[in-house]
Amino acid sequence: MSVLELKNISKNYGAIQALNGVSLTVEPGEVVGLMGDNGAGKSTLVKVIAGNFAPSSGEVLISGQTVNFHKPLDAQRAGIEVVYQDLAICNNLSAASNVFLGREPTRQFGPFQIVDYKHMQNRAVELFARLKSETRPRDLVKRMSGGQRQAVAIARALLTDARIVLMDEPTAAISVRQVAEVLNLIRQLSEQGIAVVLISHRMPDVFEVADKVIVLRRGQLVASKNASDSSPEEVTGLITGAIEAA
Amino acid sequence: MHKKDLGLAILIIAVGTVVYLRNPLFLSPINLGNTANLIGLFGLFAIGQGFVIMTGGIDLSVGSVIALLGVVFVDMVGKFGVPWPLAVLIIILLGAIIGLGHGLLITRFKMQPFVVTLCGLLIYRGIARGYTAESTAGFPFGASFPDLEWLTIGRSFGVPHSFVAMIVVAIVMWMVLHQSVFGRHLYAVGKNEEAARFSGIRTDAVTISAYVICSVLAAIAAIYFAMFTKSVQPSSHGNFYELYAIAAAVLGGFSLRGGEGSIIGVVLGAVLLQELQNLVNLLGIPSSLNFAVMGTVILLGVMADQQFSAFRARKSAAQAMNLLQKDEARM
Ligand SMILES: Nc1ncnc2c1ncn2[C@@H]1O[C@H](COP(=O)(O)OP(=O)(O)OP(=O)(O)O)[C@@H](O)[C@H]1O
Ligand SMILES: [Mg+2]
Repeated sequence: MSVLELKNISKNYGAIQALNGVSLTVEPGEVVGLMGDNGAGKSTLVKVIAGNFAPSSGEVLISGQTVNFHKPLDAQRAGIEVVYQDLAICNNLSAASNVFLGREPTRQFGPFQIVDYKHMQNRAVELFARLKSETRPRDLVKRMSGGQRQAVAIARALLTDARIVLMDEPTAAISVRQVAEVLNLIRQLSEQGIAVVLISHRMPDVFEVADKVIVLRRGQLVASKNASDSSPEEVTGLITGAIEAA
Repeated sequence: MHKKDLGLAILIIAVGTVVYLRNPLFLSPINLGNTANLIGLFGLFAIGQGFVIMTGGIDLSVGSVIALLGVVFVDMVGKFGVPWPLAVLIIILLGAIIGLGHGLLITRFKMQPFVVTLCGLLIYRGIARGYTAESTAGFPFGASFPDLEWLTIGRSFGVPHSFVAMIVVAIVMWMVLHQSVFGRHLYAVGKNEEAARFSGIRTDAVTISAYVICSVLAAIAAIYFAMFTKSVQPSSHGNFYELYAIAAAVLGGFSLRGGEGSIIGVVLGAVLLQELQNLVNLLGIPSSLNFAVMGTVILLGVMADQQFSAFRARKSAAQAMNLLQKDEARM
């Protein structure tokens, strides 16, 4: 069964029609590349799935069940994690603290509930090992490379046993070397049965990891097909409108 | 202990040594006792200010809160015969309400902390002056409250209880800031509110709590100050105290941008400020220069700290570049 299904999703901001009747499915462990020009509606689609706001019309199904998210926490509880475009992590905290932000484990200390730093530490080591990342839990995030920061954000997804990870431009602001690191992280997630929706403007990255490519143009879905049946040239045509639909 | 805290501790010891060499009275029990009392009084509310600054906000109303609640406390106990434990509870409750008001205005009405608490500064001072009709609030002659006095201005083994109270508060607040989940969230909210919100943290609640903590500690300090001065002059009592608190926090490594600082830091900041006051007195510097000395030291301290951090950042960046180059050479 599809882990995520969208039926006829539309979203408008006042007069702007950001999404127009988008339908798609995502299977467990599948890596989906979501592409489109600036303003095509990619981020809007991700925000609808992540519960940042409800669609104007249409239906979202998680593992076959219709859901109505009112806030990001609802989506999180349903197993959806988002790695945001501008990386929602706190520079002043350690990698481990960031992984556990908002769900810190505690232990009893006399009458107090205190943060269980040791547990945090050990779990973080485990998660980074699963991601085959060299990130050290104790390091402050502000001293980390872009790739390591991604690892921190992605480790959050593993922590909650997410079933779907949404990534908005994870490779936008980092070096070539680090891109390879992030693509590896995505493969690790997929191997663990977690579906990944990857938004990217970088065609080669998408074709390197994606099982399926989805193209949006002015709020409409113009293609959804296996990556192996498509090509960067075709996708470019779809994005610009040189090719109507595929 | 952070590197910053350690640096501050060393500075305190160095300044102390210099003052002692110039005037040995510095280490006399009387002077130490008096200074400890002042550190306790000012430390109490400086810790609270730290919580607010941690969120990236500021509380300018602290001095006025100390005056208003001081007046109310003295009147309740001295004039209306309210049993002092009840009066203490009421004052703390009033403090909480004030903090809650600030927090709600800042989070729900999206007002700037500076504006909200500046208005608080004016309003509470005005109420204190209006309520007393500018006359000094004091205890009636001959009135005595042995238990209350023991708790506030008493001493054990020469250690003033205001100092003890500050240490107790500091330990509790250390637990809150550095060991509790709330503390983690406070750091997160202060640095990157959006990220905190996306992580499922109720950021408004965290911010409001910080203002409540600040005003409650100011309320407790108000009681200690009122008992220490025995009378409260509504137009001058607590004037500029918010600036002492902010100065202590900044000296203690808090960033006014939020998300940085420690309890040990702000306590050491309060210690250094009182040490400087003491220095002015003991070295025969005209006390009119008091603020000038304080301002200069804070300025130099913060400047030195930033230069040092920038130096460290450059060094680690250079190291990282080196590693990268070696990496690439291997590839
Ligand atoms: N909060 C908003 N209010 C009003 N209009 C919005 C808002 N967010 C996005 N839009 C509009 O909706 C359309 C889709 O925007 P969206 O951010 O989803 O595009 P995108 O595909 O993510 O673009 P990019 O590649 O630049 O990130 C655009 O026309 C944009 O201007
Ligand atoms: Mg976008």
